[in-house]
Amino acid sequence: MEKVARFRLETLFVFLMLILGIVITITSWGYGFGSLRSPGPGLYPVFIGAMISIFTLFILVSTWKSKTSQPVLDKEGAKTLALMTLTCCLWIAAMPLLGYVVVSFLATYAFCKIMKLEGWWKPLAISGGTTLFIYLMFDYWLYVDFPRGILG
Amino acid sequence: MEGLSLLYNGFVNSLTMVNLFACFIGALIGTIVGVLPGLGPTATMALMLPFTLSYGPTTGLIMMTGVWYGAMYGGSTTSVLVNIPGEAASVVTCLDGYQMCKKGRAGAALALVAVGSFIAGTLGILGLQFFAPFLGNAALSFGPPEFLCFMILAFVLLSNLSSDSPLKGALMIAFGLFLSSIGINPMDSYPRFTYGSDTLMQGIDFLPIAMGLFGISEILNIALETYVKPEVNKIRLRDLYPSKEEVRRSIAPTLRGSILGFFVGLLPGPCTVISTFVSYSLEKRISKTPEEFGHGAVEGVVAPESANNSAVMGSMIPLLTLGIPFAAPSAIMLAGLRMHNVEPGPMLFANNPEVFWTFIAAMYLGNIMLLILNLPLVGVFGRIAVIRPQVLMPVISLICLVGVYSVRNSFFDVWVMIAAGVVGFFLRKWKYPIAPFIIGVVLGPTTENSLRQTLMTFKGDLSLIMNRRISVTLLALAVAFLAYKFLSPYLGKKFALKVEPDDTL
Repeated sequence: MEKVARFRLETLFVFLMLILGIVITITSWGYGFGSLRSPGPGLYPVFIGAMISIFTLFILVSTWKSKTSQPVLDKEGAKTLALMTLTCCLWIAAMPLLGYVVVSFLATYAFCKIMKLEGWWKPLAISGGTTLFIYLMFDYWLYVDFPRGILG
Repeated sequence: MEGLSLLYNGFVNSLTMVNLFACFIGALIGTIVGVLPGLGPTATMALMLPFTLSYGPTTGLIMMTGVWYGAMYGGSTTSVLVNIPGEAASVVTCLDGYQMCKKGRAGAALALVAVGSFIAGTLGILGLQFFAPFLGNAALSFGPPEFLCFMILAFVLLSNLSSDSPLKGALMIAFGLFLSSIGINPMDSYPRFTYGSDTLMQGIDFLPIAMGLFGISEILNIALETYVKPEVNKIRLRDLYPSKEEVRRSIAPTLRGSILGFFVGLLPGPCTVISTFVSYSLEKRISKTPEEFGHGAVEGVVAPESANNSAVMGSMIPLLTLGIPFAAPSAIMLAGLRMHNVEPGPMLFANNPEVFWTFIAAMYLGNIMLLILNLPLVGVFGRIAVIRPQVLMPVISLICLVGVYSVRNSFFDVWVMIAAGVVGFFLRKWKYPIAPFIIGVVLGPTTENSLRQTLMTFKGDLSLIMNRRISVTLLALAVAFLAYKFLSPYLGKKFALKVEPDDTL
């Protein structure tokens, strides 16, 4: 089963890249290819799109033929990957609303737990310390204006 | 004489508190990064870019180079003490370094590596100091056709040397070139691939892509790995003295590794990694006792470590003289310099000579700092290697998120970083090299300008390129390399071009 899963995921990726290459070529053509004497804004991306399409076509054929045995992700790995990504996304989404301090503290705590750091005081200490350290460094030293959120 | 006077001015400029501090911090962080398995110098340099913005371009350049070759120094510590390479360029050092450690010669190995790296670094700086202005002047005769042909040669070499599959390398370059074309085209102010979005009009910034590909993807990779606590062999200061025999056997390999590494550094791709493999093979081939290699031969430790240090300096030449980065860390440096409105290239020596000479002077000082840092503190750095990733990665994750946001106060950049991180994670797993991707992003605008200017200069007749000697030579080199690549399997094993796969680059 794992063999099939990896095979399909990589093939899907290459297939999507092929479509992307074709879309780039067609869209760029619409920007105006111009001529070799007087190049338009679409000339360069047409070449890039064509290159992506040709390269992916060859890779697609070789990926299709290849028989690999190593799975990229097991169920546990997929869960960890999804949770890490979700935490990052929530950090962005919640920041304007709740402000830097709360969101960053919660995100760091979540990262610690997702990475299976045992207990509660170590993750709390790391989250608190990191949030404060980064706040001082960026806000006071580099004058970065963090969103304050409804909690001020 | 003019060179000496410029170098003197460079020393005067570099001996400011800010530059010395930047050099020290860069070297220290680089050593720690080199010691810690996982986060490499490229990700760290990208992470440090926001911090360099408050200072001048020279300070930024000094700090980032300090990180890069600090990592080369530090990488050897864990290779010798724990048998875990801190970063890709120290993989070879494990072979004999750990064997020396098992024989109780870890201290001697680390001392010889530190001194060897210092010598290699110094020779590398001397090479850079000598060749860069000379090549920079030569590059003044480069027009758009020459730059275009040079890009073609660089892309051909990069796609072939970065991965086992040249097609994957080429695809990554093309994808990077595409990303750089998003936004308003500066040549004719025409918006491309923006789909009406104001954010996309400004283009996709280089930094979030670099942080995602090298930082977030590495964090995800480590998060998914099972942690096994390494055993660190303790080391005392008095153990650092090598025997006379070990010193004697190290001198020639150090010098050979330094010279070889410097020239390998001029190649596109993971030059520091390639330099270690080439240097190790050379030493083994010319050794009178090749059977000792893999069982604790001191030559197998000092030569690759010297090579990777001087390769760093070698790879600065194409960046500083032509403005073309051949490796991922130098791509980050280019981005950093551009943030400071400094464009490296032939004009650097005319417009901003103080940047170059202060950088050279600071590198001499940094090299001394690294030697002082690495010898007595080797035991401390060894202990850093056992910090659990569960403690370290949450901190680095937050620094990545905040660091990218801080550059333009843009959440869009953070989205780009996360997307690049997830894509980078899978690309690494599927053995797609990510260094060509990031170099494609950085070189995209230059490539397009060169192509369009060449076409306009020649009125669309590209055959006129044959009238330009430098361009023809560069194209001929690209064709010769491709011919060699395709024909080498038919010429037998001796001629086969083999590059060690490295998914971290």
